[in-house]
Amino acid sequence: MLLEISHLTVRYEKAVLINDLTLSVDTGELVSLVGPNGAGKSTTLRAISGLVAWEREIKRRSTSGDIFLDGTVTFDGERIEAIPAHEIVRRGLVLCPERRRPFREMTVLENLLAGAYLQKDKRKSRETLEKVYALFPVLKERTRQISGTLSGGEQQMLAIGRALMSEPQLLCIDEPSTGLAPIMRQEVFAKIEEIKRLGITILLVEQEVSTVFKLAARNYVLSSGKLIAHGRGEELLKDETLRKTYLGM
Amino acid sequence: MNILITGLITGSMLALLAIGFSLIFGVARIVNIAHTAFYMIAAYTIYFLSAKLGVSPFWAMLIAVAVVVALGLLAYRFLIDPIREHEAAVLIATIALAMIMQEAMLLIFTGDYLTVSALIQGFFVVGGVKVFHQQVLTFVVVLIILAALWLLLMKTNLGLAIRSTAEDREVANLMGMNESRLAMITMAISVALAGLTGAVIVPLAVVSPFMWMEPLIIMMAVVVLGGLGSIKGSFVAAYILGFTEALVVFLIPKGAFLKGSVALSIMILVLLLRPEGLFGVSFEEER
Ligand SMILES: Nc1ncnc2c1ncn2[C@@H]1O[C@H](COP(=O)(O)OP(=O)(O)O)[C@@H](O)[C@H]1O
Ligand SMILES: [Mg+2]
Repeated sequence: MLLEISHLTVRYEKAVLINDLTLSVDTGELVSLVGPNGAGKSTTLRAISGLVAWEREIKRRSTSGDIFLDGTVTFDGERIEAIPAHEIVRRGLVLCPERRRPFREMTVLENLLAGAYLQKDKRKSRETLEKVYALFPVLKERTRQISGTLSGGEQQMLAIGRALMSEPQLLCIDEPSTGLAPIMRQEVFAKIEEIKRLGITILLVEQEVSTVFKLAARNYVLSSGKLIAHGRGEELLKDETLRKTYLGM
Repeated sequence: MNILITGLITGSMLALLAIGFSLIFGVARIVNIAHTAFYMIAAYTIYFLSAKLGVSPFWAMLIAVAVVVALGLLAYRFLIDPIREHEAAVLIATIALAMIMQEAMLLIFTGDYLTVSALIQGFFVVGGVKVFHQQVLTFVVVLIILAALWLLLMKTNLGLAIRSTAEDREVANLMGMNESRLAMITMAISVALAGLTGAVIVPLAVVSPFMWMEPLIIMMAVVVLGGLGSIKGSFVAAYILGFTEALVVFLIPKGAFLKGSVALSIMILVLLLRPEGLFGVSFEEER
């Protein structure tokens, strides 16, 4: 297994955000994590990429409440739950965050180069840049454009492209299609499939369950921080209560 | 003509100060009230080295900047960093730091007004106005520093990381940028700019333990006018206020003491009319 989350628990003060979550992703897989709003999907991705621990550090320093984090995260055979966020990227696990969050005042190219920050070999980052441009030709057309002026769909492409610039083994994407027009959504999903074909393992958090279930080999359903189902899309959809209560279909 | 020259020089000096102040605020949300106190320390160091020890002015300036950077990093490491996530505490701590530096200078050098002689003597006359070579030198040096800073921020990997962190430190973290190390590097750059400002201005100014207060107020006005955290804004606003200041002094020759009040009035007006400043970035805390 490339990624193994074992008995992960996250609490903010008294609120339990993640409750004893165990989940794994194998090399080359596209696995999805779905569930209603506030289920803890983003928190899960933030926990494995080190952001929850980072936030805990900040809260401790500002004495504004505490975060409790327990359980283990193993990536590529190494325990990473105690490794700082900026060191986790180096190991090949990258998060493309919720709401895209490009560096809005910087150009498209600068955003992409920021993604390749750890790659000190300029020739290699140049090569990766060409690969990202091949995947997202629209970014190449807009190299010098300030990213805050891009459309939502373009910003999503940029956010994914920026994450890819770190040459990850595992790409975690948080709600890439949310807030986009239907055509744009289909394009984003097509790009995600293409990235998978490039051999990059993907952990995808999404609202749009019907499309995701077709893409992902395995799916985890999360609700109120607890894992309530796991399996292939068609199997999960057979379960009436699951479909109605948790998948909103 | 006189207004133009003083305006350019004051504006450039303010730009250096305000950009340094904005940088560390942008990257680490540190409001460093002691920023101009570091500028004062640089001025005193140069005075001490050149007037007392006879060190050549050029070396005195370099050493002064080094001293200020060292002090700045010490202050960062032991005073600011531990409480960095606590904005009010940082504010109070840096005010205290500025006072400590002021009192230390009072103790060592007394409150006497001191001067450092110009690096180059002489003047030329343009349009009936004396322009001192030192003024030109200061202006050119400031422009070189601003250009170097621009290159650092826009053309290097470090600059990219600094700008990324200033914009969204959480996402910068995800890109592998070590946010706390960058905050420290930015602190060094920021106080180096304060030190450099002190160094280039010292031949034109009077050195005293209270010399940090007026520039602090005007610098704050610059930062507010330009938009908190915006480097471009600081740059433009610095010249606006630099010229305003020169104009005030020109129109009311006896009213030089009004400089601070004019700056404050501009600051308050901006806060009332356009709180985000000229090039304001609105800071929504991202999560
Ligand atoms: N910083 C925080 N402090 C306290 N509660 C939070 C914080 N962030 C998120 N939550 C809460 O945790 C729950 C899970 O959030 P999240 O992981 O963002 O859910 P999802 O991504 O599945 O919509 C939500 O109920 C949310 O309100
Ligand atoms: Mg979410």
